Amino acid sequence: MPALCLAVLFFLWHVICKMEIVSAYVLPSPKKVWESFWKMAVSGEAFWDMIISLGRVLKGFAIAFVLAFLLGMLRTMAPASGQFYEYLVQFFRNVPPLSLIPLLILWCGIGETTKTVIIVLASFFPMYLNIVKGFTDCDKKLLEVGDVFGYSRTKQFVKIMLPYASADILVGMRIGLGYSWRAIIGAEMVAASSGLGHMILFAQQMSRTDKVIVGILIIGFVGYVTDWVFGWMIKKLLKGSCKNGWN
Amino acid sequence: MAGIELVNVQKSYVVEKRNVQVLSGISLQVPEESITVILGKSGCGKTTLLRLVGELEQPDGGEIRYGAVHKTAFVFQEPRLMPWLNVTDNICFGLKKQALDSLEIQSIIYTVGLEGFERAYPFQLSGGMQQRVSIARALAYQPTFIMMDEPFAALDYFTREQMQRELLRVQKSQGASILFVTHSIDEALLLGHKIVIIEEGLIKAEFDLPKSEKLPNLLDEEFIEWKRNIIQNLNVHI
Ligand SMILES: Nc1ncnc2c1ncn2[C@@H]1O[C@H](COP(=O)(O)OP(=O)(O)O)[C@@H](O)[C@H]1O
Ligand SMILES: [Mg+2]
Repeated sequence: MPALCLAVLFFLWHVICKMEIVSAYVLPSPKKVWESFWKMAVSGEAFWDMIISLGRVLKGFAIAFVLAFLLGMLRTMAPASGQFYEYLVQFFRNVPPLSLIPLLILWCGIGETTKTVIIVLASFFPMYLNIVKGFTDCDKKLLEVGDVFGYSRTKQFVKIMLPYASADILVGMRIGLGYSWRAIIGAEMVAASSGLGHMILFAQQMSRTDKVIVGILIIGFVGYVTDWVFGWMIKKLLKGSCKNGWN
Repeated sequence: MAGIELVNVQKSYVVEKRNVQVLSGISLQVPEESITVILGKSGCGKTTLLRLVGELEQPDGGEIRYGAVHKTAFVFQEPRLMPWLNVTDNICFGLKKQALDSLEIQSIIYTVGLEGFERAYPFQLSGGMQQRVSIARALAYQPTFIMMDEPFAALDYFTREQMQRELLRVQKSQGASILFVTHSIDEALLLGHKIVIIEEGLIKAEFDLPKSEKLPNLLDEEFIEWKRNIIQNLNVHI
């Protein structure tokens, strides 16, 4: 079925171009797009832009995860600390990271820092909120089992809270990864001289709509594949116990 | 006599802004190396009492004095297994890595009749099997003091009898002290060296049963006499 849907889409695209309903500049033919994809693939230019974007995402994502985990843990272990920064978290959660670009360019220039900050901001919140949810939802009855065996707070955390929260943490990471992939493309369109986002904007300025479409296809495809890989890993990690959803 | 001593222990909960006095002054000796059974109707505060002794909760008034230092295990009324661990790992949950003795664990698994399910996860087990895992988890810890909250309530007649026998054996061979909560008179008589009847937050009666070597026969004259005695105290009519 998925293949059929794709085939129909390509067929429509092909027919529209054949009948010249819109100009080839606005919508290049599938053949043209395929040719420029092939050219870009052979020259490696698309590949390197993709690697650069992915690299930025991974860096920002890793920083965001460590931050979210530490803050989430702090909030769980010392709930009083949450009052300290909770409202700040809620405030920034409602600020789209892309709206901070002007400020960030002013402060950090258009170097890597700006893009890293954007990704951190984009992926931090879904991870933080899910991590806190996972930790605070932890079943008191299971924690008591640790109590009766004389577990220390650290051991309680490692042996009960962390495994209990792992499903939520992984879901948060999956959402965070998706968010950061979207954000990096946006950031690269505004403040970058490399990466997929820059590539499609540059192609548009050069009137190369075919390249723009190639770029969009790559962005969608890479996002889809990373999400799929992550989903697959979650399934493997939670094998056996995930079916019952902890309850 | 060493052991655990409860002196005028009180506990109340606030339910919907109303203060509910659950225990209103319990004084009790839990002697060493024997089985003390707390018997009472459902809702009379047995679990609460056990949780206080297990230090999972603090009394509002009174005092609990602990005589000897004990390695304590607690069997909850519900299985409370870790859903992400299989049967073996759940049983070893209380153990330190270096204290792991796989032969010992295997024999405990055999004792509770879970051989063949070592790799199974809790959601793949029936309620009774889960409860047996939780009993095994307590036994594997090799405690000298065991608190058990209606541990056999979810088991069928045959398994329950087997587990009761096993508990008596463990108690005798290791000289453990056991504080056992139940609502079953037969079970109380079968296991208890001392039976404490609780009603409306107070101790209604205490019985010291003669220790005998063999498992008491529920049809003995003597046994029936005890049972009649207890039933009178519980104000129940059969
Ligand atoms: N955490 C709690 N909060 C409020 N009320 C409680 C709580 N735990 C027990 N109770 C109340 O205390 C009473 C005794 O409960 P419990 O000790 O569980 O009885 P039992 O184990 O003998 O059936 C019940 O009326 C119950 O509603
Ligand atoms: Mg109870």
